[in-house]
Amino acid sequence: MFWKQSTAGVNTKEVKAILDEKETKMKLSLKACAHCTLCAESCFLFMGRNKDPKYMPSYKFLNSVGVLYKKKGKVDRLDLGEIRDLVWERCVLCTRCYCPVGVDIPEMIALARRVCRSQGVYPQYERD
Amino acid sequence: MDSSNTFFWTFAYDFIRGPMAWIAFIVFFAGTLFQIFRLLSLTKEQSISKLTPGPGRFIPKRADNKDKKDWVMWLKLSIAGVNPFMTIVSTIFHVLLIVMPIFVLGHNILLDNSFGISIVSLSESVSDFLTIIVILCACIFLYRRLFLDRVKAITTWSDYFFLFLAAAPFVTGFLAYHQVFDNYRLIISLHILSGEFMLMAVPFTKFVHMIYIVIIRFTVVSEYSLGRGNRTW
Repeated sequence: MFWKQSTAGVNTKEVKAILDEKETKMKLSLKACAHCTLCAESCFLFMGRNKDPKYMPSYKFLNSVGVLYKKKGKVDRLDLGEIRDLVWERCVLCTRCYCPVGVDIPEMIALARRVCRSQGVYPQYERD
Repeated sequence: MDSSNTFFWTFAYDFIRGPMAWIAFIVFFAGTLFQIFRLLSLTKEQSISKLTPGPGRFIPKRADNKDKKDWVMWLKLSIAGVNPFMTIVSTIFHVLLIVMPIFVLGHNILLDNSFGISIVSLSESVSDFLTIIVILCACIFLYRRLFLDRVKAITTWSDYFFLFLAAAPFVTGFLAYHQVFDNYRLIISLHILSGEFMLMAVPFTKFVHMIYIVIIRFTVVSEYSLGRGNRTW
């Protein structure tokens, strides 16, 4: 990106602190993902949505936790909104996803949810 | 080729055959050990507590052994059942990638010349055939990356790079063995160099899944763990 990203409305320090807690494990897991897509069929939403690649477990964690670590927590509200749609609407955290390499996908999604929740970005039904 | 060029080539050739190979092996083994200890330090042992039945009624075991694990269903639902072709290709690729270089005749002759040790080696025609298999498997991976929507969705440039890096020693080894190009020394240099880079890349790049899969799948307890995992993150 050529222009400076506006992180107004996001406490990037808080986000970074949450990310730092599990940095070693998450970065190692992100690295270990070979992008093989063999996890796809283990997701019932992927199977139910006509095998749409956007529902693959690997797609979901790479585009949520992966983005958070890539940007070192410096995300804007738009990024968080996209991550929210990904980790709540395309994943129900049923923890049935299977990674042949052994990447702990549910924990990654849970971490992304935690980051979003810390910034007040979550779906309506979680507000009560 | 003028004399300075020749000198450079001789020096480079000697360097990648000698010190560079040592560096590659040291980086590979030290890095692997480091990652193993790091993974083990990230996980901790946990005792598996078994619940004992409490008071009250509980379901008695069926007499007809029906509650045994249904292996056919288990296999059907596994990756091997859902994606048999990819499982076969991937298994062949990874097994040959690791095992084959150890048994290549040329490598054993080098070992014998240097240290006076050697192990059983494959005949040259067999290793030639197996090399073609590895390259074919790599081509299948490349095809998936290029044309399958689901793989395309998460592919980055580094996936191509590491696929080429993994296949490079086999392609150059094949070319060198058949002496396809006149400049044998250049091809064999590239062969050695790509092998060394691949080894050094294992602990620190995407190739880390080689270490990760062994440690995590065997030690961390989960529904899918192999063996008797008793650790947790």
